[in-house]
Amino acid sequence: MAVTLLAQRPSAGVPRLSMTGVTKSFGGVHAIRQAEFHLMPGEVHALVGENGAGKSTLIKIASGAESFDTGQILIDGSPVTIRSAADALALRVATVYQEAQLFGQLTVAENTFLGRELTRGHRVDWAAQNEQVGRALATVGLSDEFATRKVEELSAAQQQQVSIAKALVGDARILILDEPSAILTDSEIENLFVAIRNLTAQGVSVIYISHRLDELFQIADVVTIMRDGVTLGTFDVGELSVGQIAEAMVGGEFAAAAGRQARGAAEVVLSMRELTSRRFHDVSLDLRSGEVVVLYGLVGSGVAEIAAAAYGQAPVLSGTMRLRGQPYRPTSPAQAKAQGVSMLPANRKREGLFSFQSIAFNICVGSLRLLKRLGVFTDAARERGVAASMIKTLAVKTPDAARSVSTLSGGNAQKVVLARQLVTLPDVLVLAEPTQGVDIGAKEEIHKIVDQLCERGAAVLIATSDLGEAMRIADRLIVIRNGTNFAQFAHGVGQAEVLAAASGELTREQERELARQEAI
Amino acid sequence: MSATTLTARRRERVLPPAVTGQELILIGVIALLWVLLALANPGFLAPYSIQNMLWRLAPVGIMAIGMTIIIVTAGIDISIAAILMVCSVTIAKLIAENGWNFWLAVGVSLVIGAALGAINGVLISYGRVPAIIITFGTANLFQFLGLRIFNSKTVNGLPAERGILGPGEGGRFLGLPIAFIIMVVLVAFAWYYLRHFPGGRHFYAIGDDERAAALAGVNVRRRIFLAYLVTGLLVGLAAAITIAGGTSTLDQNVGKGQELVTIAATVIGGTSIMGGRGSVLGAVLGALLVQTVSSGVTQLGWPSQLSNLFVGLFIVVAVGADLIRERRRKAKL
Repeated sequence: MAVTLLAQRPSAGVPRLSMTGVTKSFGGVHAIRQAEFHLMPGEVHALVGENGAGKSTLIKIASGAESFDTGQILIDGSPVTIRSAADALALRVATVYQEAQLFGQLTVAENTFLGRELTRGHRVDWAAQNEQVGRALATVGLSDEFATRKVEELSAAQQQQVSIAKALVGDARILILDEPSAILTDSEIENLFVAIRNLTAQGVSVIYISHRLDELFQIADVVTIMRDGVTLGTFDVGELSVGQIAEAMVGGEFAAAAGRQARGAAEVVLSMRELTSRRFHDVSLDLRSGEVVVLYGLVGSGVAEIAAAAYGQAPVLSGTMRLRGQPYRPTSPAQAKAQGVSMLPANRKREGLFSFQSIAFNICVGSLRLLKRLGVFTDAARERGVAASMIKTLAVKTPDAARSVSTLSGGNAQKVVLARQLVTLPDVLVLAEPTQGVDIGAKEEIHKIVDQLCERGAAVLIATSDLGEAMRIADRLIVIRNGTNFAQFAHGVGQAEVLAAASGELTREQERELARQEAI
Repeated sequence: MSATTLTARRRERVLPPAVTGQELILIGVIALLWVLLALANPGFLAPYSIQNMLWRLAPVGIMAIGMTIIIVTAGIDISIAAILMVCSVTIAKLIAENGWNFWLAVGVSLVIGAALGAINGVLISYGRVPAIIITFGTANLFQFLGLRIFNSKTVNGLPAERGILGPGEGGRFLGLPIAFIIMVVLVAFAWYYLRHFPGGRHFYAIGDDERAAALAGVNVRRRIFLAYLVTGLLVGLAAAITIAGGTSTLDQNVGKGQELVTIAATVIGGTSIMGGRGSVLGAVLGALLVQTVSSGVTQLGWPSQLSNLFVGLFIVVAVGADLIRERRRKAKL
């Protein structure tokens, strides 16, 4: 395995933060095992790994948001106890989570000091707060006049900078940044990097989590790679390539993923041309009946929004979509469905299930018109019949279709949502993160169902950030990066190659293309 | 970024503007109505008419202070009409049937109001049940309590004039009703507290994002509890002003509909029903608008249900404007 060939960083000096032998399990499943993480003073330490590799658990432990089973945390060589967010803050460990925890109605200064206001008499000392916040804002590259602006008036990037400034006012010496760049544009990321360098120059140590591997080479000194809850090692960034990191992250085991028969060319059912919305731009693709096209991209790349646009849940600004050759621009999922495009939402609990209702109701709710008797009543017997046959086909584990859907496990609930779409076979089926939070067995079954659907002639468009899944079921795999098609692969491509394309390294063709442009 | 620019800027704007756009619009609408009403009926601007209107404004304005704080935390209290009834009948009984001193009875009213508010507060903040459910329940409970105190009889024999809280000659200072002056002082204090004290700012943070407020170290439960307690206390005071109104008889309809008038005033004043935004100044202006409409409709001799129509329209416009603003703000992000 490639990892063993890499040189581990030699350790010298006393680390600012040491996590040794840290293990944490949730209900018997190890989230992290014997993790080793050593952060030196003034360094930017990247933490990378696939979804579920244990990165967030590790930083949650360091920031007091999560407890751990065994292991030890040391700061400057002495053991410390971090049991709550307050403990972490007292040890000057500050965390900026992915979703900013800011109050839109309050000013930047107020947000920063909320819960620890500076007061004179009993009143808030606005002047002192604004001044202190002004200094912190300067460190992250915002002018001090932002101190008195309402947070809701700021852009996402500015809010992110405010979150970091907020962490700095507490005099942090360890700053944890959880995917700070996911929502930022390139120039905004540049500003972020300047801010981070300012901090490290002052001796602050930064833990930087990112899925964009190309960034690491610009900002990080060292990188710790995690896979399946294990820290594989800490390496000098300069000694690795994006490809090597990607390979270490995914490991070798997916190379032999089950191959599938290439399907013959069929007619194009759904096409997109230069489709643009606020979250993605110039997306073009063709989807043929009987094939599975996977849109793969990192969180924030725009994958989810492209899928949403295909079933009318996200507004499109420009570009065209055609369905069976006819112009197609649905403005609601109901319209999409009427034209033969069905979807399976990513957030089952919120968007997919009627949790108080029976399994049968949940399966049949989308097709009640077909089940009507005398054009008025829903035929209960037929409803049960349809539900029972679906439960059998999909192997939903339940004794009775009349049971409440809330009694099902995540994977089985997902099958129920899927079953709803299958009562009437759609021309196009859009799936967003179809197996998120689903156990491995159910995942396999869901993939089988998708295969069956294709064989019956449906065209399937899947948006996912799960690389293993993308590799497994795609006939064609389109990598979305920064909101647009970045690269396309056929089934059977190497996983590391896809990951490298999605997270920062250019494909060979693109390198050549770029070289050609530079030559002109 | 020199020290001088910082100092200069500090004077400019530390907080959102003291008077919001919606409040300015309200002032304009009220002024316009007053001009129109004065043209239609010159008696509208007579001192007696104005004094009477400001006196009537006082109880609603005082309750609207509490309601604003509650709605800012993304809560609501629909039990205040019932609390008003319990407090009113208690004062009336104590002075008319037990011969108590008025102020002593008012003290009891304040205690009862605070206690009933505290019941709401405990259930909502510590019981973690939505405010609308809890206060809907307690409204019926308090109503029952009030009716028991009435004991299916009206309270008769209240003295005709109850001094300095009343609408009459004895209740004025520099020509203004003292009840109104008390309201103004309370509004001014609440306005300043909500803007400049950490505790006041925390109400806004809670309404904005309760979880994030808790993570930032705000004692969310205690704040929410206090909002309902203070509101109960203020309702107890409003009851005292109501009783000082000068009618000799108090019947079981006292307070009826006051929760809706108060919520209407608060919402018309620009307090967002989603929480996180609003001011007591706006709420009092909203109360004044509602009061102007109902006084105007009466003085013009129009059917009184027209008053409901107008207030209803104002609510729809105010809430609609709030939602449109909210949507624009979201679209911008």
